[in-house]
Amino acid sequence: MANYGMAFDYKLCINCRACEVACKEENGIELGASKHRLWIKEEGNPSGDFWNLDRTQSHFMQMQCQQCQDAPCLKVCPHEAIYKDGNGIIRLHNDKCDLSLDCVKACPYDARYVDTRKKITDKCIFCADTRLARGETTTACQITCPAKLRIFGDLDDPKSEISQVLKKREYFQLKVDKGTKPKLFYLK
Amino acid sequence: MKIIETSRRQFLQSGVALCIYATSSTALTRLPTDSTQSTSSLDKSPKITPFLCNMCRNKCAGLARVENNILTKIDPNPLFPKSRNMICPKGNAGIQALYDKDRLKYPLIRMGKRGEGNYKRVTWDEAFEYIKDRLVMILEKEKDNRSTIMSCNGEGFNKDEYIQFFNGKIGSANFLDEGSICLNTKLGATQLTIGDIGEPDIAGSDFVIISGANRFESLITPDSIDLIHNKQKLVVLDPRCTVTAIKADEYLPLNVGTDLAFCLAMTYIAMRDELYNKVFVQKYFKDFDKYREHILKENYRAKWAEGKTHIPADTIERIAKEFFGAKRPLYYMGRRSVWSKSDFQFRRAMILLNALAGSINKKGGIVFGKPIKLPQEEINTPIYDNAEGRFDLEGIVYGSRKGGSWLNFREQVVNKTAPYSVKAMFIRKHNLMQNMPNITKTKKMLEMMDLVVVIDTLPSDTALMADVILPECTYLEREDRVVSFNRLEPSLALRNQVVEPLYESRSIQNILKGLGNKLTKPLFEVSKKYDEDLQDSIKELGKLKAFNEGGYDLAELYKNDITARNKNLIVKAFGKEAYRSLKTKGVWYPNMEKYHKEIFNNRYEYYPEEKRHYSVKRDFKVNCYLKKLAKNGFDAMPTWRTEYDFHVPKGKFRLITGRNVTDTQTATTNNSMLRDLIETNHIWINEKIAKELSIKLGDIVEVASSIGKIEIKAYPTNKIAPNVVWFAHGYGVQNEALTNSFGHGASDNILIEDKFEKIYGCATMHHTDITIRRV
Repeated sequence: MANYGMAFDYKLCINCRACEVACKEENGIELGASKHRLWIKEEGNPSGDFWNLDRTQSHFMQMQCQQCQDAPCLKVCPHEAIYKDGNGIIRLHNDKCDLSLDCVKACPYDARYVDTRKKITDKCIFCADTRLARGETTTACQITCPAKLRIFGDLDDPKSEISQVLKKREYFQLKVDKGTKPKLFYLK
Repeated sequence: MKIIETSRRQFLQSGVALCIYATSSTALTRLPTDSTQSTSSLDKSPKITPFLCNMCRNKCAGLARVENNILTKIDPNPLFPKSRNMICPKGNAGIQALYDKDRLKYPLIRMGKRGEGNYKRVTWDEAFEYIKDRLVMILEKEKDNRSTIMSCNGEGFNKDEYIQFFNGKIGSANFLDEGSICLNTKLGATQLTIGDIGEPDIAGSDFVIISGANRFESLITPDSIDLIHNKQKLVVLDPRCTVTAIKADEYLPLNVGTDLAFCLAMTYIAMRDELYNKVFVQKYFKDFDKYREHILKENYRAKWAEGKTHIPADTIERIAKEFFGAKRPLYYMGRRSVWSKSDFQFRRAMILLNALAGSINKKGGIVFGKPIKLPQEEINTPIYDNAEGRFDLEGIVYGSRKGGSWLNFREQVVNKTAPYSVKAMFIRKHNLMQNMPNITKTKKMLEMMDLVVVIDTLPSDTALMADVILPECTYLEREDRVVSFNRLEPSLALRNQVVEPLYESRSIQNILKGLGNKLTKPLFEVSKKYDEDLQDSIKELGKLKAFNEGGYDLAELYKNDITARNKNLIVKAFGKEAYRSLKTKGVWYPNMEKYHKEIFNNRYEYYPEEKRHYSVKRDFKVNCYLKKLAKNGFDAMPTWRTEYDFHVPKGKFRLITGRNVTDTQTATTNNSMLRDLIETNHIWINEKIAKELSIKLGDIVEVASSIGKIEIKAYPTNKIAPNVVWFAHGYGVQNEALTNSFGHGASDNILIEDKFEKIYGCATMHHTDITIRRV
């Protein structure tokens, strides 16, 4: 049992999208531009005139389920289909989902999408039923990343790389004002 | 480049907003694992095979997971120094290359006219028989001039044995590869200036300048990866604000093709202020005084360069001082196609800047290193009396004797100015109908052939022009010859076979073996008829001995299969342990177990700092002045000519080309996973100009040059200069059999005028002006 989280050294991202493909291949995500468990958001496109572009606000942000400790999706599901597993990962009982889409609307991070084949709302579960289930210790996005900017591990283990890095470096979380207590951390 | 940001919640609410750009929700042709399945059904001990990727030229190392004979996942191989434990989006999507439903599955023979796409399925033997009949007919007509059979190859792996077969055994002088539509000027300039092509040490450098090479959207390992992690200052020059430019510490937008002027001004400042490394110059430079005098006399001041490049003079002054003041500066030479006719001079100017800073054979510079030498397999090749020489290097000062000059070759064939007829072409993994400027001309060349054989994995546009199509298996279905990689942190790596070849596809070794066995006797009989040397040899030695000693057995190299050949070669040169390591781990280098260790979060050290080959003992000279160039009427030292000035007529735009991070030319455009990420190419146009022309995002625009016309979607942006447009290469395929890519985007080579520089015979890509209008 662990309490999994992920930290991003987000400024290293070059938007190559290896993570997106690795995730789709590992987890059998259906094709389609709006079907993905994770994506890269282009923030702050360069501004101004071509000869004097301001690039200081340009970043690529790693977006996916924030693994909220207080998850809005879990609370709103009318069928109690959403649960937190033993590793602190927000999961779904597929058979209980009837596509009411309450969870999709409740998520402040836009993390859920509709899997039209399985007829469920899907999102990132840290490869829980694929890689972690095989006994691997990395997620598909993390291991393939050219920048190695994704640090995944047990937040309750003080020796884990993620715990170490969160102790050493400053970070921020997304939309903390929503009270969701996300377990994803963006390193400053 | 992601064109549109989508909010899925908004999508649900508004319903229609992103329909134009969303890829259809095609189900995957093969689902790796169903995430709804219970964990108990997962194969917990799948077969893991170390292999080398082939989705681009890099050859990164991967670990392939196979469950029930199906490749279900590709992960990076942490042991390979070159690829730094990563697999890019293309590498990850390699699964879809293997299981692409459009793959060439069986040998095919053309039924209708060339280009119509009507083929019948035949057996391998029928295909070989057809090729044999045509070749005998052609060689009879050409009186055994073997050079009438040209061959070309666009893939790095197995290229040498492909050349051994067609140049060595068949005996044709005409082999061409991608070098003359790629980077031959860079290789040549470096070789001629410092006597070696070297390797840039990005990780060791503390100040890097990159001119145009888009290292974050055209990934080169380990360069791109080292550039992400290192803390050095990065300066990027580019006429387009790429991701590499966005990530740079300093981005210098400039006029297309004026980088040479920037380099000359940097050189001028170094000479004027004596910023260069005097000890290094004293020891290694040849004709330094001549170069210094030339640069100062030409007066390449920063102010002069400002007028050419649009980079402010004070910036140039500052960058030059920072570069020469850095401890380990590197002017990154790039790895990219040739832009303009000044390209060779530009690359020379860059290598000379590195040399002036003393950044040669040194940490953080261009290193010679210590590659692991692989022994060659010796084979006996015949000498054909009537085989003529190659003609594509006529009028080219240096040129690559190995890979030739594509545009000059095509020009001479099409204009019938070649000294003899070329009548047959063997084309392997080389999409001629898309890969070089002026597709109309390429089509004309192919139409002139009596035999066109295409060896490929996919029905490319070139396959559409073939008489015979031979299906090669993908890189995941074969073992290849062991390869030596890198110089600073050298290693050997082996592509092991992940799964058996699908359908009736074969490895290139098996294709050449079959072809060799079929052709050996009939082609020998043709030579016997026309080759006087062979006739004398038969008289002297008898037919059998003349055949054997002359090396006429075309399939000689394939007596042993590739696994046996690798084993013999590796065990003999490096021992059993090295072979075992390559078979089970995919990688080997001396002391690998001892040296290889994790630093943090799946990043590794491959060699300890003191064991990397930063500097090696070697006598070398830095050649400032190349006499051969002067003799041929070219500048012997980097020089600016007024014809290099950037000028676009009013109402026109300069077309520049490049690619997306998800694509390797046309080879990946049909990949369902990659198509899912970027559906099509868009033309970048300056947003202010677009507004004036009433062009909005997604509008279809007509783009016309002097040789062709296309329609493409528009992407107005501030990331490109007002008189420049750009779109990614690799789209606009014409073959309907490529169902994922057909109908998506447009091809740059319909527009790019075919011109080539005369020092290496390389196609230049950035000289075409176009007009653009909304349809």
